[in-house]
Amino acid sequence: MALLSPVLPTFSSLSPNLSQKLHRTLLPKKKSSLFLTRGTGNGAGNVGSAAVEEKLEEKKEGAIPLESEEKKVEEKLPPESPDSNGAAVKAVVPTFNDRRWVGGTWDLKQFETDGKTDWDAVIDAEVQRRKWLEDNPEASNNDEPVIFDTSIIPWWSWVKRFHLPEAELLNGRAAMIGFFMAYFVDSLTGIGLVDQMGNFFCKTLLLIAVAGVLLIRRNEDIDTVKKLLEETTFYDKQWQATWLEDETPRVSNKE
Amino acid sequence: MASLSSPTAAARRQDSPLLPFVGLRRSPSDNCMPTSRNAVSSRRRLQICAAKSSPRLPGRPLRVAVVGGGPAGGAAAESLAKGGVETILIERKLDNCKPCGGAIPLCMVEEFDLPLELIDRRVTKMKMISPSNVAVDIGRTLKPHEFIGMVRREVLDAYLRDRAAEAGAQVINGLFLHLDPPESGEGPYRLHYNLYDRGRPSAAGDRQTVEVDAVVGADGANSRVAKSIGAGDYDYAIAFQERVKIPEEKMKYYEERAEMYVGDDVSPDFYGWVFPKCDHVAVGTGTVTHKGEIKRFQAATRLRARDKIEGGKIIRVEAHPIPEHPRPRRVLGRVALIGDAAGYVTKCSGEGIYFAAKSGRMCAEAIVAGSESGTRMIDESDLRKYLKKFDQMYWPTYKVLDVLQKVFYRSNSAREAFVEMCADEYVQKMTFDSYLYKRVVPGNPMEDLKLAVNTIGSLVRASALKREMNKITL
Repeated sequence: MALLSPVLPTFSSLSPNLSQKLHRTLLPKKKSSLFLTRGTGNGAGNVGSAAVEEKLEEKKEGAIPLESEEKKVEEKLPPESPDSNGAAVKAVVPTFNDRRWVGGTWDLKQFETDGKTDWDAVIDAEVQRRKWLEDNPEASNNDEPVIFDTSIIPWWSWVKRFHLPEAELLNGRAAMIGFFMAYFVDSLTGIGLVDQMGNFFCKTLLLIAVAGVLLIRRNEDIDTVKKLLEETTFYDKQWQATWLEDETPRVSNKE
Repeated sequence: MASLSSPTAAARRQDSPLLPFVGLRRSPSDNCMPTSRNAVSSRRRLQICAAKSSPRLPGRPLRVAVVGGGPAGGAAAESLAKGGVETILIERKLDNCKPCGGAIPLCMVEEFDLPLELIDRRVTKMKMISPSNVAVDIGRTLKPHEFIGMVRREVLDAYLRDRAAEAGAQVINGLFLHLDPPESGEGPYRLHYNLYDRGRPSAAGDRQTVEVDAVVGADGANSRVAKSIGAGDYDYAIAFQERVKIPEEKMKYYEERAEMYVGDDVSPDFYGWVFPKCDHVAVGTGTVTHKGEIKRFQAATRLRARDKIEGGKIIRVEAHPIPEHPRPRRVLGRVALIGDAAGYVTKCSGEGIYFAAKSGRMCAEAIVAGSESGTRMIDESDLRKYLKKFDQMYWPTYKVLDVLQKVFYRSNSAREAFVEMCADEYVQKMTFDSYLYKRVVPGNPMEDLKLAVNTIGSLVRASALKREMNKITL
């Protein structure tokens, strides 16, 4: 570890949160430099592309240079940073930029603390990237492919982060439901707890209880499940429609 | 005659199904019917009659009009004419170049005996691109002779129509207006149409009327035949597409590759595409739920593909409705709907050419069989046989694609999982097999299980990230 630490950038010594905040404040500056390099060649002003747009609506055919079209697209994007108001950097798509995003993936070395990769920070970083891309979609490029795959993050770090906070609640709920169901079954049928375990019906109940607890975590989930059921049968109904009308030949052909 | 025919008629009555096939449950109540059941309000009494007992036609073959000369109409007219039925095919625009992806599966080439010259491009690589720009190449599992054919619709349609004409169908360049139902049971349908004269192409055409015994509606999404039998409406997606001529060196990349972009920016419920055409690419997207915003989605598609189509010129802009599900009624009396008019387009992939041609052929075969090669009158039960066969054969395909669309086009996180899943070779093999040959091959159970686990893993991971994304603000 002692050997490794000098190699690490100084940021890694900070807490991940802090480094992100710091980074976010750095972001606009980086963007602006990028705008300038990307912005060359897109000199034409606003008026030209508006005219193109009109022409397109009037006449659906005809050659329109795609480049001016693209400019229109870019201008439509909400200006993310104050920089984009400047005339020189107008009409350029901001791109995602992060020091730890290297060659289309997260550079795991930069996420190391104490010789171990801080997967939580990787998840955080990916969350940020996806959020950014949702607001500012980027062109996919064959020269810089995205190779990051969420499956490289080990399963336990997902569990630790997303399941454990809820696990207590779910386990508790399942246990209570199980207990009361066992109690009711016992009081209604006289089958004891031990016998219930060997009973097919009771096993099914148990399964339903567990599945129910997993599916319905909040009250809204009931609606979601209902909607889901409706949705799955909707297409069937659309196909059945023609069979549901009772058939008949409007006239009988028999003599 | 009566004594001979009655047992067979009785037997037919018993197994003469007219019931939905097993895959679809017949529900007792229909108050939850999706669309425009009111249009189909008249409750008709269940009564079955056997077509075998229908009268012979007096000294003439059965006359059938096929309205619409796309793949469905062309295929139907060909089979009808070959089966001894007097066929007319009414098409309003013989060089119609329909905006359409134009992808046909390999099995269509075989089944319809299409010459390979029809195929402009052979796509062997599909690229799926996720919202976070993860790109996956699908198609590594293809064998050397396997490909997805890309055709130009004007070429394919004309070829199928010509073949129908060769087989004996009469191709009429005219605009179908409406049809009058028969006055009596056996009476003819009267079709009204505007005949376009080759000599005066600009003229409105002469009004003509023709009498036929049965009508096959293959006139697409805005079907007039469907309207005239009160077939009801379907939801439709709007597909918007720009043909872009891109520089030669950029075109190389698309030589045998098609791209699919998924993401909320591109389409909330479908995908954006870049498909190679003969000498240009088609860039487009589609949606059902947000039709008003289609231009925004198109702009987003263009943006996502920007680096690969840079410097291109738009040579054509087109838009077209795509049916989402079959019409509430597909057969009435001696009128049947096929292809887009009936609503046979799959979800998820939006494929329709093959199913159109197949439904056309099946419908024609049912008519030929029911009329005993054009010698007897047909009735609704004969046409229902086509419906039954079609539904039985392709319902699973439609359902699977519907489920896929619902699961994986739901949100950006699901789309990420979808792309992750498509990276798997097993998935690619299964997808291509079912696409190219239109049959569902049972897979390896171990592989299926592995796939299920992986997919659920991908979905869980992606939705976990999604939940975090909702918490933060940039």
